[in-house]
Amino acid sequence: MLKRLQLPVVLLLLAGGFWLSPDFKTISAGVAIFLFGMLSLEQGFNAFTGGLLERVLKRATSSHLRSLGFGLVSTAIMQSSSLVSVIAISFLSAGLISLAAGIGIVFGANLGTTTGAWLIAGFGLKVDIARYALPMLVFGIVLLFQPGSKLKGAGSILCGLGFLFLGIHYMKEGFEAFKSTIDLARYSVSGYPGVFLFMLTGIFATVVMQSSHATLVLIITALAAQQITYENALALAIGANIGTTITAMLSALNATAGGKRLAGAHLIFNVVTALISVALIFQLVELVDWSAAKLGIASTDYTLKLAIFHTIFNLGGVLIMLPFITPLVVLLERVIPERVPEVDQPRYLSSASAEFPDTAIEAVKNETQRIFDEALDIIASGMGLLKDASSSKVWLATDFKGKPLLGEGSIDAMYEKHIKSIYSAILVFISDTEFSRKEGHAATLQWLREANVQIVEAIKDTKHLQKNLQRFMVSGNPDIRHGYNTIRQHVAAIIQGILDIRLQEDGVMDMLALDALKLTIDEHRTSMADEVTWLIASRKISAQMGSSLLNDSAYAHDVSMNLVTAAQTLFGAAEPELLSAARAVTLDDSDRGEILDETT
Amino acid sequence: MKLGKLTRKLEDFLDADARERKEHRDEMKVLLRKMKDKEKSLLAKALVEFDEKKLDALRKQIDMVHAQRKKGINALKELTKKRKQ
Repeated sequence: MLKRLQLPVVLLLLAGGFWLSPDFKTISAGVAIFLFGMLSLEQGFNAFTGGLLERVLKRATSSHLRSLGFGLVSTAIMQSSSLVSVIAISFLSAGLISLAAGIGIVFGANLGTTTGAWLIAGFGLKVDIARYALPMLVFGIVLLFQPGSKLKGAGSILCGLGFLFLGIHYMKEGFEAFKSTIDLARYSVSGYPGVFLFMLTGIFATVVMQSSHATLVLIITALAAQQITYENALALAIGANIGTTITAMLSALNATAGGKRLAGAHLIFNVVTALISVALIFQLVELVDWSAAKLGIASTDYTLKLAIFHTIFNLGGVLIMLPFITPLVVLLERVIPERVPEVDQPRYLSSASAEFPDTAIEAVKNETQRIFDEALDIIASGMGLLKDASSSKVWLATDFKGKPLLGEGSIDAMYEKHIKSIYSAILVFISDTEFSRKEGHAATLQWLREANVQIVEAIKDTKHLQKNLQRFMVSGNPDIRHGYNTIRQHVAAIIQGILDIRLQEDGVMDMLALDALKLTIDEHRTSMADEVTWLIASRKISAQMGSSLLNDSAYAHDVSMNLVTAAQTLFGAAEPELLSAARAVTLDDSDRGEILDETT
Repeated sequence: MKLGKLTRKLEDFLDADARERKEHRDEMKVLLRKMKDKEKSLLAKALVEFDEKKLDALRKQIDMVHAQRKKGINALKELTKKRKQ
């Protein structure tokens, strides 16, 4: 009920405010235009996430300091710490980065957001930025009408910046005009009561607008128009820093445990920093005065002094918290544990990882990799093969008398436990992903979906094969035993080949190297057919045995081919920038046929 | 830079399809270079391999990389032809 009334009440209050005060209308319009600018900026940056962010992130998060630097620079460029935090949660949920790296990014984002205060206080208020806003909007709109997604993205960024500038201009105008009618500074409260009151106001404003940046612009423009006191502006800035965590918390609601942990780290960092700043606020004010004097900033230039304060308290927070990243990771992993369900569930698929094309692809790739590994275990077990996870070696399982040992677990049960729910979740995730219709990302998701289908097909074929395998491996006829052992050896060699190539970690070159395994599979099919014909002709096995062996070697062929094709998709996805070129040169059936003809 | 070249570059930048084709060409060139290196290293390995079984496996790999390179070169030619049209 309360939730349903919320929106009409807000709209009525706003309408009432507009009717009572045209200046309030100007300020609100400024905030609205500013927020719209941020949305447009976000949309623009999204156009450039196709592979670029992924590449940058891999390099930029190898150490705490690098993650911090990435958070700082990306926030300074995108001018939104909330957006960078949401990106970090999304990338963590998709398994692209570790929790420690995510925490580093969030810390850096807090530092990066301070550049906004400097830009507005140092540039936005001193220069008539509305003059820059209008050409930016015109150029932005022209680019938005272009066909290419990159040009559209650039257009959105230009429009976003234009709207940001225009919003600041309106807020500035509104506050200046407001001054002549009402003096808000009369309601200032000094001392600690004022600090707490305005900190809460800052939290509230940021939670409503979901942007600390917008709150900060409001604070700075109001401070420039002397509508709030310097002391209260500092408290508001501290409040804005706490309020900004709400966006990350909301984004983490549907995220994986990793995403929730990162949102928790964000909250801890901002609250601890705010508490320290509140406790030491008067000492910090002195430090700001001293720094301003050193930087040659006038003692009455309160907006720039606010920017210094904002930087100092965030920098202080980072310096204090940076050594605690590892203990923080341990604490969060203990407080927010990963649930262990009876049936394996997706680890990376969540609405947070569906936010960006890169993270969605990475999440699907990671889940596919999981079920691929599980499938190798199921197939190995079903065919009586042993697979050592640490040394990546595969061999035939036999008892002490040399008799084969087939896995005791039912393939169906293993499929239900390890594969089914993840497989279904992947299919739903891909069909629900909105950008899956966009070219490029769509193709990659399509290939990954195919890989999943191939993995499941390989398991089903193993199940069919297992029935005769169990029957003929204990047969008194040594030739039929030998035939089925050849099939087992062949599948073992293919699994071994896949594991060996995976160890090279050479992206698309691994993908192309897998074509050699396909040649082996083709050769094996021909040689098995010849062998079965000879065995039947020489009366070594019955015609019934022969037909079973032929059918089962066809199943083994399909198992191997499906596994290798799925592996090609997975290995190739590790180097997305060369993927389409690599797909164009992989060998199809007729290419392989030509090579085999030449060699024979 | 001459005016003609400048306008062609600008046209390439503004034409999304042309830009995409150029990206494909560049990707293919990088991949072909990698494959050439791979073929060379396999040939070098084959020269010093005396084990008949391993030599067979190497020969198979060389044939495969060679066939893949041939496909890549043909694809690159197609892309270049489209650019000129």
